[in-house]
Amino acid sequence: MIDVGHFFILAVLLFSIGMVGVISRRNIFVMYMSIELMLNAVNLVLVALSHHHEDLNGQVMAIMIIAIAAAEASIFLALFVMLFKNARSLDANFFELLKQEKHND
Amino acid sequence: MLSNIIFFTLSLTALGSAFAMIYFRQPINSALSFIVTLLSIAGLFALLGGSFLFLVQIIIYAGAVVTLILFIIMFLNIKEENLPHEPYKGRWILFMSLLISPFTAVLISSINSMEFSILHLKDFGSIKDVGMELFNHWVLPFEMVSILLLIALIGVIVLAKKEESHD
Repeated sequence: MIDVGHFFILAVLLFSIGMVGVISRRNIFVMYMSIELMLNAVNLVLVALSHHHEDLNGQVMAIMIIAIAAAEASIFLALFVMLFKNARSLDANFFELLKQEKHND
Repeated sequence: MLSNIIFFTLSLTALGSAFAMIYFRQPINSALSFIVTLLSIAGLFALLGGSFLFLVQIIIYAGAVVTLILFIIMFLNIKEENLPHEPYKGRWILFMSLLISPFTAVLISSINSMEFSILHLKDFGSIKDVGMELFNHWVLPFEMVSILLLIALIGVIVLAKKEESHD
């Protein structure tokens, strides 16, 4: 029989896939969706714990995380529109222009 | 027995489409496979008894957030030359998976050393229960989330509106 630990293992695997996506890709849409995947893995852990303890607090926390992720999505997408207007590219390396120049003079 | 079959089907679908999401080159393919991941996670919520969270996951995540992503992708009219040049994408993903796998292995072995309750199919996250919990013990965080959504709304309008020319 499956138990709550199987859900934890699945959540850990999904979180790892999300982390690999954030680190190894340069397309900002894929990076953003990987962050959302990591949030979903955390939600899965909260709901599994809520099932384990038969306590509803975990589910309410998951609902809060979903609301915050919706607010975050709107900000992210507005930033993408601005980035695309300015750089005509979806490359996250565009933000290299924020780094400090070395003054070797 | 039925819950085993449902769990393994949904988890394999979630893992496969999550991997496809980070591997696809076109962002629209990534977004479509992300919808599959979110729907299978919604099914796992239903398996854990959270029927309200199942609905919320489908309506808000798969219905609103990913639709917004798809809308923005279509709105930007992305051409091939706008995508980042990633010649070593597969090698990067392989290398980062090797780098992260020890941490994953440590977490999984620590989960395996713990005792958990067997899955019992019981609905205890109905709309009424979640609403009672939300409005009895979580009123202040609920109101703060509503203020956060308002701030996000204003911020998005400020960010995305056309800048006036200063001359």
